[in-house]
Amino acid sequence: MDRARRHKGLAGRFLPWIIPALFFMVWLSVSSTGLIPTYLLPHPLEIAHAGYAYVLGQPGQGPYAGRFLTDAGASLLRVGCGFAAAVGVGLPLGILSGRLLLVQRLMSTTVNALRAVPGITWLPLAMVWFGIGMKTTVFLVALAAFFPVYLNAAAGARQVNPLWLQAGAMMGVRRLRGTFAILLPGAMPHLMTGLRLGLGISWAYLVLGELTGVPNGLGAIIMDARMLGRIDMIVVGIMVIAVIGRLSDQLLQAGMKFCFKSARRMA
Amino acid sequence: MRPYLRALTSPREKPKDKTLELDRVVKVFHGNGSFLPVLEDISFRVERGELICILGRSGCGKSTLLKIVAGFLSPSSGKVLLKNKPVEGPGPERCVIFQEDALFPWLTVQENIAFGLRGRGLDRKSKAQEVERFLSLVGMNEFRNYLPGEISGGMKQRVSLARVLILKPEVLLMDEPFASLDAQSREEMQNLLLSLWRELAHTVLFVTHDVNEAVLLADRILLMSKNPGRIREEIEVDLPRPRMRESSQFIDLGRRLYDALRES
Repeated sequence: MDRARRHKGLAGRFLPWIIPALFFMVWLSVSSTGLIPTYLLPHPLEIAHAGYAYVLGQPGQGPYAGRFLTDAGASLLRVGCGFAAAVGVGLPLGILSGRLLLVQRLMSTTVNALRAVPGITWLPLAMVWFGIGMKTTVFLVALAAFFPVYLNAAAGARQVNPLWLQAGAMMGVRRLRGTFAILLPGAMPHLMTGLRLGLGISWAYLVLGELTGVPNGLGAIIMDARMLGRIDMIVVGIMVIAVIGRLSDQLLQAGMKFCFKSARRMA
Repeated sequence: MRPYLRALTSPREKPKDKTLELDRVVKVFHGNGSFLPVLEDISFRVERGELICILGRSGCGKSTLLKIVAGFLSPSSGKVLLKNKPVEGPGPERCVIFQEDALFPWLTVQENIAFGLRGRGLDRKSKAQEVERFLSLVGMNEFRNYLPGEISGGMKQRVSLARVLILKPEVLLMDEPFASLDAQSREEMQNLLLSLWRELAHTVLFVTHDVNEAVLLADRILLMSKNPGRIREEIEVDLPRPRMRESSQFIDLGRRLYDALRES
């Protein structure tokens, strides 16, 4: 808390933007001087034009004009569904496995074996099972996001201060209320970490799922642009994902803090 | 018991009303094939409203004894009876003040104190009144909206006291609650405990290794020896209250207990 407050000054506001600004300046200079040819890395102005057309242009003005909203909407829906499924299964299961040795024994071998399999290896199988499109992407996202959510929930539940649970028991708190009033708030910092990591990885696997020939979505745009040689659109796609990914992380944190005292006061 | 320890004033009249009774409690810890007897044949009774100190050096099993009364551990043999009913598991009629801070860090002082009242069928208004009353009893009104992480160790123990006293336990179990405080806050807390005890007349079982603390607080002191832990001696403390740490009786009894503790 103190640490956060200390950097609220003017310097604190600028600090996060120093690296992006430096990066941009280097890019601008190498592009303007022709040190890197534009077919490898387009000039920032080209990107700005392409981005403007993509986000604010009217459909029909150009190949990608005005498609932003439908693409972003489709991608958000896929991430939302996949992430929700991962949380819905991973969070309760993680909490259970953190508290009950039986569940932990039951799960640990399977979870750790599956975790060792890179997510991309599921892609061919998922395509056979679910075909191309929404379902495959949601499956990949859910699968990938499950592990950080599950593992952090388990660690959080395991590491909850036993004194808190004892204090609850002596104050007459029964198991169900103890879970919601003590265990979950006590594990909140870990739960939060798990959710944020899970959401982050959701975006990564979204693009993976959308690279496989779906008609819309941010990943689809990138793949499509590669085939048409529109490097500028690839960069625009990357930037859009970076911005939306960052915003969704902040939204997740703000939402959790809005809903839970423990997230507000501890995480 | 040597006679000079007793009868410094006339004994206070108290209704003999048995609250807590331990009957030949034994505790043995099992660990990789070996047995470690921790408590041996502990029997004593606590009358209602009494303040009992269990005095012993570290490792004599006094905390284990308290955990058994609290219900966090069960005895290997023997019985713990509260108002003639055997104790099973922890419950709000036997509240514990832990040595370490066990407040919920995500709740404010006020919310921590109100925590145990949920599900007791109190309406919002009387609940708020109760919380208000206990906030002022422990002198934490001004800090009601602070989080535990923002207040001192002494204040945390005040809140710990309030959040269990509000539940009106039959017995208050205190496990060296002031051991980690600085000398000044410890004295403050001891005085607070005594004034709360006068006002609320609850029964207290107080574990300590500090001789002066025991002499200051206790109606009766149970002196424990170790390996295995047993009650070596029971000392009635008849010093008048409020007790003066500088009085010669206080110092004499303290010295006597200190010697006894060293031998144990």
